Amino acid sequence: MKKSLYSILFLLTMFAFAGHAQCGDDLLKQALKEMGSSQYIKDFTIELVKEKKDLKTGYIKFSIFLNSNTQYKFNVANGPANTDKVIMQLKDKEGTRVLASNLYNGKTYDEFSYVCRKAGVYNLLFSFKGGQEGCAKAVLSLVKQMP
Amino acid sequence: MFKKFNYLTLALAGAFLLTACGGSSNKGGSSDELTFNDSLANAAPLELSEEVMSDVIQNISSPVEMASLIKSTGVDFSQKILNKPEQIDNYNTSFKRALNLGVYSADLGYINTFDKNTIVVSYLVSIKSLAEGIKVGQFFDFNSLKRLATNSNNLDSLMQISISSFNKMDSYLRNQKRSNVSSLIVTGAWIEGLYISGKVIEQTNNKSLINRMAEQKEIINILEIILNNYSNQPNFAELSERLAKLKTAYQGVKITTEIGEPKTMEVDGKLVIVQDEISHIEVSPEQITAIISEINALREFIVS
Repeated sequence: MKKSLYSILFLLTMFAFAGHAQCGDDLLKQALKEMGSSQYIKDFTIELVKEKKDLKTGYIKFSIFLNSNTQYKFNVANGPANTDKVIMQLKDKEGTRVLASNLYNGKTYDEFSYVCRKAGVYNLLFSFKGGQEGCAKAVLSLVKQMP
Repeated sequence: MFKKFNYLTLALAGAFLLTACGGSSNKGGSSDELTFNDSLANAAPLELSEEVMSDVIQNISSPVEMASLIKSTGVDFSQKILNKPEQIDNYNTSFKRALNLGVYSADLGYINTFDKNTIVVSYLVSIKSLAEGIKVGQFFDFNSLKRLATNSNNLDSLMQISISSFNKMDSYLRNQKRSNVSSLIVTGAWIEGLYISGKVIEQTNNKSLINRMAEQKEIINILEIILNNYSNQPNFAELSERLAKLKTAYQGVKITTEIGEPKTMEVDGKLVIVQDEISHIEVSPEQITAIISEINALREFIVS
């Protein structure tokens, strides 16, 4: 009995350590590498875990300001333990209208480019399909500015 | 031996669980770094909660984008329009340090965008000094930044690491409920970005830059909310009053929105989405001159 308890504690320790390592700086480095030649602006940490009472995870939201006549790139690196890829959604200021998403025609892309034609505040939301748990790092970068 | 393992396992489990749940925002902080006993200490209750403030501050436009747009106009780099690094000796209050940390961050973005690595180090020294003055120096790994700055092959990394350091610092300040400091840094950076743009507009009359400056009208309202939130402090109140003059200069700028055709396409396996809304900006030369004049006055107030 005692032995099992130690084993569980040991596994728990290893699991916590692995979870932390999987979603740390290495994942950010991967996202930055996949950003390519774009100009880095900001990065986002996504860690969605279920609380005891929850059946599903929700979403995490960030506010951003985008300029007009500018092409941005939103790319994401998923934690290796994720069951599914993280879903990114760019919504309007009020959060009512989805303007862009990496989920398109049933396929989840690791990035999308967004040509912004109206300066303003936007909301960037991250979630997992079916409310699963997971982690990811996302990067917002500048591709080009149109005259 | 087994008992030892038991304690060790429990300690490790506790430590790792704590770090796993703690997130990245608490890294690098210790209790003495939170002490901030001068003009930026929060005494009165805020009208907006720290959470709302945190959300609002994130909406300030990045000065790096402005620097990139300036470079795209083809105009030459000009060091004389930047705030001089030796000016830091004049910034003796946390209020001034925070504002000018923002100013130097925008200058650094401009310098990096033009790959002027010969002057980067002196700006990094100023940034480091001001950051330490407001107890957030731990976010700047000066030796790494200096090493990157002295190698022209590493300029992209330098840009990335310096922006990332600012982002981490900003995130830390907001998590530590020091949004007042954070708000001053973003205000300083935003004003400096506009100031540099104004200088380039005076020189080139570039249409893209004029439009970019005009569409910053929305930011004024955000900054007004932020600064008014701390207007119980005299220095914030003064900054708010000066910002109000800039807001007045922006009043005539007209921004309309037209609904166009949204486009989603796959290009070489990558998803590209074009926004359906298109904004149109109407601003007269006189209005831009008035805006630039107010920006110059506000910037002088900040850097003097």
